Amino acid sequence: SQTKKSLFSDPRSVWFISSPSCVMFLWHTVKWADSLLIFITFSVRSQDIRNTVGNIPMEWYKDYPHIGYDLEGKKIFKPIRNKDELDEFLDKMENPDYWRTVQDKMTGADIRLSDEQVDLVHRLQQGKFGDVNFNEYEPAIDFFSNEVMIHPVTNRPQDKRSFIPSLIEKEKVGKLVHAIKMGWIKPHRPKETTPQYYDLWAKEDPNSILGRHKMHIPAPKMKLPGHEESYNPPPEYLMSEEERLAWEQQDPEYRKLSFLPQKFACLRAVPAYSRFIHERFERCLDLYLCPRQRKMRVNVNPEDLIPKLPKPKDLQPFPTTQSLVYRGHSSLVRSISISPSGQWLVSGSDDCTVRFWEVSTARCLKTVEVGGAVKGVAWNPNPSICLVAVSYDDTVVLLNPGLGDRLVCTATDQLISSYEEPEEVKDQPVQWAVAEGEGHEQGHRLILKHPKAVRQVTWHGKGDYLACVMPDNGNSLQVVIHQVSKRRTQNPFRKNKGLVQCVSFHPIRPYFFVATQRYVRVYNLIKQELTKKLMANCKWISSMAIHPGGDNVICGSYDCRLAWFDLDLSTKPYKVLRHHKKALRSVAYHRHYPLFASGSDDGNVIVCHGMVYNDLLQNPLIVPVKVLKGHTITHDLGVLDVTFHPTQPWVFSSGADGTVCLFT
Amino acid sequence: MSQVQARFFTENKKYLIDDVPFSIPAASEVTDLSAVINKLLEAKNDGHKHVEFDFLVQGQFLRTSLASRMETENISTEDVVEIEYVEKFTAPQPEECIMHDDWISSVEADSEWILTGSYDKTARIWSMEGKAVMTVAGHTDVNLYNGLSSLLLSASLDQTIMLWEWNSERNKVKARHCCRGHAGSVDTVAVDPTRTKFCSGSWDKMLKIWSAVPTEEEDEIEEPNRPRKKQKTEQMGLTRTPLMTFSGHNEAVSSVLWMDAEELCSASWDHTIRLWDAETGGQKNAITGSKVFNCISYSPLCRRLASGTTDRHVRLWDPRSKDGSLVLLSLTSHNGWVTAVRWSPSHEHQLVSGSLDNVVKLWDTRSCKAPLYDLAAHEDKVMCVDWTENGLILSGGADNKLYTYRYSACVSDAGA
Repeated sequence: SQTKKSLFSDPRSVWFISSPSCVMFLWHTVKWADSLLIFITFSVRSQDIRNTVGNIPMEWYKDYPHIGYDLEGKKIFKPIRNKDELDEFLDKMENPDYWRTVQDKMTGADIRLSDEQVDLVHRLQQGKFGDVNFNEYEPAIDFFSNEVMIHPVTNRPQDKRSFIPSLIEKEKVGKLVHAIKMGWIKPHRPKETTPQYYDLWAKEDPNSILGRHKMHIPAPKMKLPGHEESYNPPPEYLMSEEERLAWEQQDPEYRKLSFLPQKFACLRAVPAYSRFIHERFERCLDLYLCPRQRKMRVNVNPEDLIPKLPKPKDLQPFPTTQSLVYRGHSSLVRSISISPSGQWLVSGSDDCTVRFWEVSTARCLKTVEVGGAVKGVAWNPNPSICLVAVSYDDTVVLLNPGLGDRLVCTATDQLISSYEEPEEVKDQPVQWAVAEGEGHEQGHRLILKHPKAVRQVTWHGKGDYLACVMPDNGNSLQVVIHQVSKRRTQNPFRKNKGLVQCVSFHPIRPYFFVATQRYVRVYNLIKQELTKKLMANCKWISSMAIHPGGDNVICGSYDCRLAWFDLDLSTKPYKVLRHHKKALRSVAYHRHYPLFASGSDDGNVIVCHGMVYNDLLQNPLIVPVKVLKGHTITHDLGVLDVTFHPTQPWVFSSGADGTVCLFT
Repeated sequence: MSQVQARFFTENKKYLIDDVPFSIPAASEVTDLSAVINKLLEAKNDGHKHVEFDFLVQGQFLRTSLASRMETENISTEDVVEIEYVEKFTAPQPEECIMHDDWISSVEADSEWILTGSYDKTARIWSMEGKAVMTVAGHTDVNLYNGLSSLLLSASLDQTIMLWEWNSERNKVKARHCCRGHAGSVDTVAVDPTRTKFCSGSWDKMLKIWSAVPTEEEDEIEEPNRPRKKQKTEQMGLTRTPLMTFSGHNEAVSSVLWMDAEELCSASWDHTIRLWDAETGGQKNAITGSKVFNCISYSPLCRRLASGTTDRHVRLWDPRSKDGSLVLLSLTSHNGWVTAVRWSPSHEHQLVSGSLDNVVKLWDTRSCKAPLYDLAAHEDKVMCVDWTENGLILSGGADNKLYTYRYSACVSDAGA
């Protein structure tokens, strides 16, 4: 505004604006502005009013009657405006100069623009210079060009700094040198000149390319027509009546020819080909369904898929034939057990008797009647005690069969009779009673009355402890452990999870195995805690046997499976055998030979070789070696119990047909 | 192929024919050859009666046609075949069937009497005609017996052996000694050839040698309870203790016998047959089998041991061989355990075996593929067999019957 003012006040001051590049422009602008000012000044001077407020927004004087001050400092009053719209309109209609009349903001007076002014406005509107005479395309005179003139434009001597090195540059260079010295910048970074692409096919097997070529499968070719397709085939290609009938009856897929050869007298007589579309369709199918890829059929010999197992012949000895049948029971024989010496066998049957047999002759030496169907028998494994535990209904009877060494038998009787009643009698879940009278004559020694029906009895290896299973859906008191020498009964578990199927003592260590429907739990009897829980992956465990080494367990189940657990390996079965057709009833390990057997409802006993190695790294070798058939299926029940002879590779099985078989 | 050159010879002077090779059809079988020999004999002496012959080619009986036999034996048809012929053994004829009250566990016979042991806790003496002569009752359990003419031995499951004296004229039996010492059932007893000692084998894995001479005083003197003992000896005889005990078997001893006066042989459930020196008690030799031995028998004629095992085979062993596990011959025809074997006392090649398959078989070791005869009279398990010097075969079993068969072994052939 200051510049403008000065411009207005003294137009010659333009010379003090000293930027050489815009001198020309200003020159022209000033020329134009000058002429304009002169012009306007002229027109204002004619009315002789000049407002001195300057370049301010005129709204500030909106509410005042005056509009500014003139040169003498007197108020310039706004002209009286009493024109209404109608006057305005009439003025617009009647006044021919209305269009060139503008209002002067500074004074509020109407000014009529002259022709020159209107022309100027027009020119400016068109973007032209205000001055008509100005030639904007005058040739430019280049003062500052590359041409060195003999007379310089300016006469200034050169600066000193154009002769001395630059300090700024020196500073920058110093910084770089320092960075290079400190190792922040690597001045000679080796440039990777090798191109950055890789060989797509570098790793490709050259044979595979060959293979790809080999893989090419051409589209199937159409069979070329033969004689039989001829319109006039030789007579041997024509079908006889029977052949034609046979052809018609044949399935279209199996026909040797897809058409009937026909004979025409001349080519002219040949009709239109009726199968044309059909044939084209089949050809399309051939092309569309033809294999695009050759399937590499791997020729696997089925024999190779079978795991390499030794031949059963090399795994002798194992029982192979039925040798003896122990006949005498009139009902199913639920349980059998063999004396530790291997001379006697005891069997318990549903006909309420327990029979004692001589193993080598199948002679029944003794029959003891008990008061119910016998569920379990177990011969005491201690050779210095002659006792057999028999369970029926809710009773467990300890029998002294009186077989074997006379001294052992009398010692056993003495052991039982020498029992002294302790001073304080504990409340026990089981009642102990000494057999007297006729029962004693028969061999009954101790009678244990349980609260529930006893299903299984099993001895500890030392022969003092006896575990009984009373399966019950209630949680408490399913397993009890009796100590015979002290006539004491323990209830080892306050609570049993699930229905207990069978129990067993570990042969060496103080562990106790409890099999429920799906799990086998291993308890440490000394620490009184759960050590392991084996998951059998079957629906209902029926039986269990512990390897004499103690590290392996087999479980038979009602869903036809036999699961072998390696306790060191996992809590899941190491191997599951599904050899039986029906539910397994009993499993057994041999004490010395690497054998185990399973008896099932399908009437078979399957003997397997189960070698357990001393080397912990080697997994047990399990080879099924023999299916032993000998029992007839009675009431859908086959073999109910199996047990091995303690010293010979012989297996005994008891069946629902009331017999016990010996396989050797 | 149709004709073979054969030369026949025999040990029997009665049936001697000329020593010339004959050309006979290769397809001819035993009956054809027998007819040929009979024809030749008829031509030689008029009074010849038809005799059935059996033929041996290289020491084995001919059972098929000559041609197939020569093929299997690799005998060239170019050479002259040497064929030995012997009179055919006739089938044993059943004589008696003696009923018992219970299973017969053992049988032994001499030329006059038959002694049987039974599961009804008695031993019985029978005459040859099948008449019950005497019942010896005293054991509390199953019996085994062994007889020495007037002295009888019975061993029992009650762990004792009783020595009885039997007076055949007055028909009275007196218990002389009760031999106590075994800790298991006594399964076998055997009397030595001098008849002064006997040996017993028991389930307690021990062999014990006892004196067989009846004496008046008690061997064992137990001071504290003597009065009671004395009372007992009235019925049971004097208590006797073993002279010697052999231990070495790992399992029950199932059978024991004397090879001669100094040597004992025992078979056991531990799959071994052991030979013992009866004087020193040392073990001399052991034969290891693969199965439990049920019974053994020794023939001094051929010096072979025959064993019956808990499989189907009768096996022959050479007790003298040092590598004692070699089976000389397996006789396989039974279908069950072989529970009893007995060599013929008069014939070096023949033995009889009884099995759990109810059959008694008569074998000739020269025909090892098949037995000579099957004696299928029993209806249940055969448990014992015996063979007397006068040609009587006896077998007893679980059907409570004791069968006797008369077997006329050719006297001429015996001892050949």
